[in-house]
Amino acid sequence: MISIRNLSITYGRMTSRGRSGETRAVKNLSLSVEKGKLFALAGESGSGKSSVLMAIPGLLPEGTRVSGEILLDGRNLTALSEEELNALRWRRIALIPQGAMNSFTPVLTVGRHLEEVLDVHLGLSKRSARERTDELLGMAGLDASLASRYPHELSGGQKQRAAIALALACDPDWLLCDEPTTALDVITQKGIVDTLKSLVETKGVGMLLVSHDLPLAASVCSRLFIMKEGALVEEGTPREIVVHPKNPHSAALVNALLELEREE
Amino acid sequence: MRHLLARWSFWCLLLLVLTALFGGRLFDAPPEREVAAAFSKPLWIERDLPPTKEFRLSADTPSLRFDWRYAPPSRLSLRIDPSVGQTGRFVEWRKPGAPEPLHLAPLRGGFEADGRDIAFKRSLGLPPFGDAAASLFSERGSYELALSGEGGFEGEVVLKLEGGRWGLLGTDQRGRDVAALFVAGVRVSLIVGIFATLLATFLGTSFGLAAGYLGGWIDGLLMRIVDLLLSIPLLPVLMALAALWGKGLWQLVLILSVFSWMGTARTVRALVLTLRDAPYIEGLRGLGAPPGYILRKHLLPETLPVLLATMTLGVPGAILSEAGLSFLGLSDPRVISWGRMLHEAHSFGAFTAGAWWMLLPPGLGIALLCLVFLDLGKFLEERVDPRLRKGVRS
Amino acid sequence: MLLDIRKLTIDFPPSRKRKAVRALEDVSLRLEAGESVSIVGESGSGKTTLIRCISGHVTPTSGSVSLFGVDIARAAGRRLVDLRRRCGVVSQDPYGSLPPTLTVLEAVMEPWILVRGREERQAGERTARALLEELGIGREEILSSRVRLSLSGGQRQRVAIARSLVLEPELLLCDEPTSMQDASTRGDILRILQRRQEAGMSMIFVTHDLFLARKAASRGLVLYRGEAVEEGFCRDFLASPQHPYTKALVAALPKLSSSGTYAGESDGR
Repeated sequence: MISIRNLSITYGRMTSRGRSGETRAVKNLSLSVEKGKLFALAGESGSGKSSVLMAIPGLLPEGTRVSGEILLDGRNLTALSEEELNALRWRRIALIPQGAMNSFTPVLTVGRHLEEVLDVHLGLSKRSARERTDELLGMAGLDASLASRYPHELSGGQKQRAAIALALACDPDWLLCDEPTTALDVITQKGIVDTLKSLVETKGVGMLLVSHDLPLAASVCSRLFIMKEGALVEEGTPREIVVHPKNPHSAALVNALLELEREE
Repeated sequence: MRHLLARWSFWCLLLLVLTALFGGRLFDAPPEREVAAAFSKPLWIERDLPPTKEFRLSADTPSLRFDWRYAPPSRLSLRIDPSVGQTGRFVEWRKPGAPEPLHLAPLRGGFEADGRDIAFKRSLGLPPFGDAAASLFSERGSYELALSGEGGFEGEVVLKLEGGRWGLLGTDQRGRDVAALFVAGVRVSLIVGIFATLLATFLGTSFGLAAGYLGGWIDGLLMRIVDLLLSIPLLPVLMALAALWGKGLWQLVLILSVFSWMGTARTVRALVLTLRDAPYIEGLRGLGAPPGYILRKHLLPETLPVLLATMTLGVPGAILSEAGLSFLGLSDPRVISWGRMLHEAHSFGAFTAGAWWMLLPPGLGIALLCLVFLDLGKFLEERVDPRLRKGVRS
Repeated sequence: MLLDIRKLTIDFPPSRKRKAVRALEDVSLRLEAGESVSIVGESGSGKTTLIRCISGHVTPTSGSVSLFGVDIARAAGRRLVDLRRRCGVVSQDPYGSLPPTLTVLEAVMEPWILVRGREERQAGERTARALLEELGIGREEILSSRVRLSLSGGQRQRVAIARSLVLEPELLLCDEPTSMQDASTRGDILRILQRRQEAGMSMIFVTHDLFLARKAASRGLVLYRGEAVEEGFCRDFLASPQHPYTKALVAALPKLSSSGTYAGESDGR
């Protein structure tokens, strides 16, 4: 269980002469998520949702002020040292950052990417690494033959799945996904979120998915959190939020979206 | 703006520009004038050495008393104005502790004697190869130069003593004031540096815009010219051209700019290539905007921030090129520049004479000027950069 | 007829980077003055190529495109410019659509001054201000601030739309104008476009979102890999899709209402 309590994140605005002002990206946010379920964090751009996600494995930029607690099974992550956090990253908490699909090294094949992670983090031999690579690609919905392809030879959806496979390398308890479907076609998007959902169901990982696409998030999650301007404005099951939104901001958002879907 | 004012290089540059414009007024004599003995040291070192001084006796000051705390001067000369006429009086010299004054010379208009003249030495009772100055200034103490007898007279009596020291930065091999030369050199370095870079930037921007926007064979031709010019080594060409065209200052500016516009052209061209296909540019072309309009109104303003920084960073290059050429002796000898000063120091034996004050000021001056522009260029780049980034998401 | 596209085929010759590509095959579309159509397609469907062909930037390999009665492939120079002045284009990325060095007001006025001349500057400013006001950008400090500096993504797109509407085009070509926008901006932009349509402007609205397509125009065309696979009314695409691709699109479309209208798999188990 990951429990976030009173989390506040403040970025310094960097200019050429150093800090010149601050932006409060997240204001006093509290939420909890459990393993075995898919949670979604939705909100418009600039609402702070990515910041929340990056705060969990401690990957916020230098000079960011973080206050509050992030408890992983009772252990406060914000109080851990870099070495302790490093031990957790990739092994217990895996992150798929925004734009991961464009962040592959162009000179390595997909298979080599996976083997490298397996070697560094798990110390697997070449043969076991290759077997595990095939296994991981399968879990992400990719054919094993893609291991010998280079990133530029893959489509957008395939690259995103490769990023998912990478994140699964060390069999983590938690998967954090930041906007895994932006810039992808609608049909591909559905495929990706379906794969993510099946991972939750079959492997029992806990997943926190961040997206600005509220209908997409609502269609796959068990519980939905909506953020606006750094604060959590609504939480509940998708059904609750759509039928009875409590907060005026989320109500306005839901109505705008429903109006699009309604026939005139 | 306040960021600029906080920058040391801004104030330094301001100081240097003011020096270039008004520095000459600090000195009485033009820099080419010989003011003292060659290789005189700066006043503030080796205080034991006598400074170069002049003592004048006139109707208002018929006698001068002074303390002489140094070694004897290296040379002395005595000159009496022609207007003085014959008087039957003498120019007297009292050494410290001497009861009787020496007669240096009769007070006769037009009299001139140098300390090395044998006749003069004999009149003082010295052997022909003696040292008149050393004998006259044999002790440290209180001396007096006076006129015997009473009465007024016209004109002046000038006793000129050449010591080993002069001014703030000493003198060069010709006895010119190094400080005055240094100040004169600021002007040349600034002019060459700034104008050569301005001209190079203008050329580079024009060619870069044309090549980037018009493309096709124009682009090809211009880029081949760039490649050609880049592959030519600068110094031999400059030397050859200096021999052909003469060594004037503006020739130098012209040559330097012709050989340094290529980098700017490439940068501008690359920028234009990325901007050319932006949707709004395409839209303007579609609406019938002529190329001149697009270049002038949109592409040029986009390149200006980069240009400003590139230009500032290019000035040190021009300054160093000028200094280098001058050092090699390829510049106009009539033009005083820091590089020229280094050339003359090198060629006329400053090293042997140990005259470090001839070498350090121009050398440090060149380095300082380059550092000033480098710092300003860095500042401009930092200012330009955040705005080139298209928004930052937190 | 405003726009008459018959059996349009566009091939891109092979280059160093890729093999030959057939971007569009046998696409036909007809539009009368005042009519609008939505083109539904994803990346690789040829939708952007279609837009660029209508605006004269890409030449047809075969077939014909007739804009305002003129064959676009034969139009050149002055004629082409005149045709383009009657169209407006709104593209997906608001960052490339606006000149960064101008102020917001100048950016919207620029097409007017370019086409009508400097003498008409006053009238142009009035029109630009009215448009920006309508689009929700009225504050003076925004109008006089440089485009590069202060606008958010949503604001930029609005300014870009104002810029494309300032010449009062008869045909507006929109290529995914809302895909980079937040949900709240999306609705606003659609409403503004609808108002123009009611005033008689034709619009071609390209999108991958079937709901948006239906809101933007009643008629629609579904493009898949360069071919028109379904044609008709947008509401029919959603209610009773015929082609397998359209069916897949409808199935993939995340519907918020479905979360609320029935207890599906996402009900908090």
